[in-house]
Amino acid sequence: MDWLTICADGQSEPCIPAIQAAYLIGLVLVAALFALIARRSRDLSTATLALIPVAIAINLAVGSIVVALRLPIYLDSIGTILVGALAGPWAGALTGLLSNLLWSFLPIPGGSGPVAAFFAPVAAVIGLMAGFWAWQGVFRIRADDGRIGGFLAVATGIGAALLALIVVQATIGYGFSDGDTDSQDRFVVVTAVIVAIGIVSGLVSGRTIYRLDGRPGDARRYLVVAATVAAAALVFAGIRLLFGPTGYFFTIDGSDPDGDGPLGPLFGGADLSGLAIADPVGLWLALGGAVVVGALAFAWARRGDNARFFPVWVAGITTALVAVAIAVPIAAGVFGGITGGGTDPVVAILRALGLDVIQAVLVQSLLSDPLDKVISFSVVFVILGALPVTVRTMYSRGETTVPD
Amino acid sequence: MSATTGYYIPGDSWLHARHPLTKLLGVGFILLAAFLLPPIFLAPIATGLLVLALTAGLLAATVRALRIPAVLLASIVAINAVLYPGASDPWLALGPFTLTGEGLTFGLVSAGRLLTVFLAAILFLFTTLADDLMEALVARGVSHRIAFVVLSAVQLVPRMQVRAGAILEAQQARGLSVRGSPARRLRALVPLIGPVVLGSLVDVRERTFALEARGFGAGSHRTAYRLVIDPPIDRWLRWGLGAASTAVVVGALLGVGR
Amino acid sequence: MTRPEPRLALTGAGVRYAGRRRPALEGVDVDVRSGERVGVTGRSGAGKSTLALLAGGFIPRVVHARTCGVTSVGGLDVTKPLDPGALLGRVGIVFASPANQLSASKRTVREELAFGLENLAVPRQAMDTRIDGVLQQLGIGHLADREPLALSGGEQQRVAIAAIIAMGPTILVLDEPTSQLDPAGRRDVAALLDTLAAGGAAILCAEHDAGMLGGMERIMVLEQGRVVGTDRPGVALGRTVAGSVGLPSPSLVRLAEFAGVGGDSAFDEAAIAAGLSSASSAIRHGSLASRRQARTDDWRTPDRAGADSRPVPAGWTPVRDREGVEVEFDGIHYSYEGDIAAVRDASLRVVAGEAVAIIGQNGSGKTTLVKHVNGLLRPDAGEVRIDGRNIAADRIERLAATVGFVFQDPADQLFERSVEREVAFGPRSLGIDADLTAALVDQSLEVVGLGHERATNPYDLDLSLRRLVSLASVLAQDPAVLVLDEPTAGQDAEAVLLITSIIRAWCAGGRTAIAITHDMEFAALAFDRVVVMRDGSLVADGPPGQILSMAQAPLLASTGLTPPPTARVAAALGLETAPAGVDALLSILQSDT
Repeated sequence: MDWLTICADGQSEPCIPAIQAAYLIGLVLVAALFALIARRSRDLSTATLALIPVAIAINLAVGSIVVALRLPIYLDSIGTILVGALAGPWAGALTGLLSNLLWSFLPIPGGSGPVAAFFAPVAAVIGLMAGFWAWQGVFRIRADDGRIGGFLAVATGIGAALLALIVVQATIGYGFSDGDTDSQDRFVVVTAVIVAIGIVSGLVSGRTIYRLDGRPGDARRYLVVAATVAAAALVFAGIRLLFGPTGYFFTIDGSDPDGDGPLGPLFGGADLSGLAIADPVGLWLALGGAVVVGALAFAWARRGDNARFFPVWVAGITTALVAVAIAVPIAAGVFGGITGGGTDPVVAILRALGLDVIQAVLVQSLLSDPLDKVISFSVVFVILGALPVTVRTMYSRGETTVPD
Repeated sequence: MSATTGYYIPGDSWLHARHPLTKLLGVGFILLAAFLLPPIFLAPIATGLLVLALTAGLLAATVRALRIPAVLLASIVAINAVLYPGASDPWLALGPFTLTGEGLTFGLVSAGRLLTVFLAAILFLFTTLADDLMEALVARGVSHRIAFVVLSAVQLVPRMQVRAGAILEAQQARGLSVRGSPARRLRALVPLIGPVVLGSLVDVRERTFALEARGFGAGSHRTAYRLVIDPPIDRWLRWGLGAASTAVVVGALLGVGR
Repeated sequence: MTRPEPRLALTGAGVRYAGRRRPALEGVDVDVRSGERVGVTGRSGAGKSTLALLAGGFIPRVVHARTCGVTSVGGLDVTKPLDPGALLGRVGIVFASPANQLSASKRTVREELAFGLENLAVPRQAMDTRIDGVLQQLGIGHLADREPLALSGGEQQRVAIAAIIAMGPTILVLDEPTSQLDPAGRRDVAALLDTLAAGGAAILCAEHDAGMLGGMERIMVLEQGRVVGTDRPGVALGRTVAGSVGLPSPSLVRLAEFAGVGGDSAFDEAAIAAGLSSASSAIRHGSLASRRQARTDDWRTPDRAGADSRPVPAGWTPVRDREGVEVEFDGIHYSYEGDIAAVRDASLRVVAGEAVAIIGQNGSGKTTLVKHVNGLLRPDAGEVRIDGRNIAADRIERLAATVGFVFQDPADQLFERSVEREVAFGPRSLGIDADLTAALVDQSLEVVGLGHERATNPYDLDLSLRRLVSLASVLAQDPAVLVLDEPTAGQDAEAVLLITSIIRAWCAGGRTAIAITHDMEFAALAFDRVVVMRDGSLVADGPPGQILSMAQAPLLASTGLTPPPTARVAAALGLETAPAGVDALLSILQSDT
């Protein structure tokens, strides 16, 4: 079986070309996912089966409303998320899968042509994720609810990791230099320690301070603070990691044209070291950005029940990240990175900056998908709040995943 | 042609007469061939598909349908040709754009693969009614519940598009503004999407009852009314397509024509 | 000959949904025999639908609820666990909304009829015979190859019934089967039920349309889940049964009672006219004075003998001062894309304070015409002027401050989590200040009688009440012109009177109302002026007494309409103009010396 190896560059012995192997593995994975969804669909109730076609039609109809509103988002998975929430992950997956297939196979004005069908696995996974998060209760948590402890713990973990990051930067630094194995090892260790601090403080805080049952006032206050801290921390960390004096862009100095260094794969041979802003300006910039975003988050979360959206957004962002992970190989491998939609100009700009096919799609997806999914999940959350009792009680999960 | 038959073109060509699963297997084979065979095969396969369309009297319709992926395919070729970082054979540079042979090849191959799959799919859609396909799949063991979901969605999609338009009108008639700043348009989302979703969900309750009244949830035994003709030659065609697909996969594993 | 055995028999039947304090149905006794049609009527929430679900074998099999008593359907007790196949061969159930009755997964009516047979695993060879038999029996063979979702509502409902009948039940339960149909569709469905009953089917039909109920053998009146009485239609819908719980009687029944015509002739116009002419001579002689006194109430306050009737809301009183406006359509032409003209050369002037009804069959261009008032459609030729100003350049959401539009389907508008928030959405979008909004919301909910449902989710209300929420939400916009698209569709007599009083009071305050309607009695009662449309043109325009009289019957028939029953009785009495309603007819008789 010595031919059953992936070809290396210039290899001439029998071997499997890497790209063919990737296509084959992709096909097998997709076939397995479809088979699994078809298998699980056999147990769906009549109410769920009546719901899914309607949800598919909703996906496509909302798409046309968004076009009418001329908003730069898709919102093509509202129905999928809804089914995931009401009827479980597998029903959601079936909805997403069929939506995208029909989107391609029906002559819908302004439809996406052949593109949507290839992204059917992504839509299916969005349905699965929505079902999972609904089961975790994101759609029924109230601002004054003891169940928010888990989300607060996550926020605390992120805050702690950020604190660790700042301490590391202020003391031993976050240095990393190509070819120096010592600094690379140190980088890995420091990163692992920071992540570990985040996880441990998250776990510990979840067990101790966030037992909020019967303390609605505290729950609400904590939730507001958590939303603020999480927003500020994410912005600060993001700016530091990307634009810091020894941050990500610092390492992208055009010295790695093949993009096969440890940090290379994202930007290849582009020289972006000018984006690494020296301290103290860089530090102030990060702090300023964090404070502004934190203040905005605080002001927003305090108003009414807005803090309830925090867990919903966590669900939206994680769903988007999983979706991106599946969508990027498809976009790059099948479409050469260009999907004929409104996001193509962004991809083109990124590639003009020197990013290769996969990198450009990845960055573009990371820019647009989380926003899209956060809005989708928020819209579904609001609509589920207006769901009539008669509908909610028809679905097995309606009672447990939808707000009272 | 009604709104719910999709791309189907009524006819009695030899392609129409094939069993839906034969044609589905054909599309599957083309998909495998397009992505697993070396790109040099793409042009012959696409030409072959056009010849198929010609013999079935669908060439004109097929060529007309090419405007659906036209923008997509053109963008794939154009953007890859002039923006392909890492290419080692620049032909012409203009500002941020560099025309490269590698980029052009990559764009052409990507677009060619899509075009081939598109041709196969559109011929399938032109000659196959969703109802027949689903009945054929159910006869081969796919759950009739999935078939129901697909066929029902095919019928509901055009109706829901109409309803979305009606809701847009109705909410504007209540003073909802759908113009203005992005934030304002974003706020219009819930008043517009809300009725789409909630109104449909209330219908779902009645539709569930109606399905129960028609014995949909009654049991797993089911007979089929729609007869899907399966000529003897289709059996041979399916064996042939199955063998060809296997050959393509094995060929890819062996790295043929690399 | 002995009477046939009851097919459907309920004895002391009761239903209680989980989490509800009161049972939805209590102590119901009814039996329906072969060839018999039994109607069930009552207010929304009285238990009609629950009774239909129970008799149709849906409770407790599909809808979970606790039951008591015995519900025997063709010999099976549906409250016990049973084989769905056996049940579906005995009883079929049909609901209100035509499009939702169809599987929506079949390409032709023939295949739609086969859907149920497939699920019952009927052998393929037997299917065509059964389908052809049903198509022929119900006289819908011409629909066999049509696409189900492209049919009209009335056709869809007949296909839905046929699809149920094809599965072989001899008992048919219907839950308001005609409430969403136009008069023509209603007539067709009624004729189909006649055919079925003649063929030996036992039919139980929840309904509030007087015409449908009048054709049945017996009517059961429900109130708060209990049976008030079961009798022949003329009696059950009259003062002694329906009237005893405050339900208004249909016009013909009221006239029959006044004329002293017995229960069996309560829907026989000639007999009523004969009775009335002798009664009116009795009036002239004063011998019926006391009876007349009891029957000629103001139209605003229907007979309310019952203790449990809903409070009568007051009509609309203006919350803020605003001038009435004049609406003028001038030579409007409109055609939908690639279609023949939907409206041609329509000119109509509606002055402030006027109430105009637009009538005509489906497809005659009524909705297309009124959609021009607030800019939903823009004329291909001609112009729409409000107070003399062409509105061609005005955006829909700006015109919403002047023109309120109540859509036929409330599901196009409702999205909030409570009735109160829903009604407040319009005035908020229009930028009306908070205090005024609160006052408008209060009054709107009061006049439609939903003041006690403020916190309820709109979609947890019945469709008929949801329509009232939709009406309230437009009233709260406080527009100068109120446009209503079939406001009384699916509403019971009580709600029709409520809407009548709102329109009357609305126009008394100097505002304008323009309504599309299929309900001739409503058109005669609530409006100053009736406009008839046919094939996109206005063909008649005048006061209701003139347009809705028997003299105009050929014109009305040409657009699928018939004059209201009071007009027919009036014509039989030799009156030239149609009275606005029962009370108007009675006062004419009284003054006719």
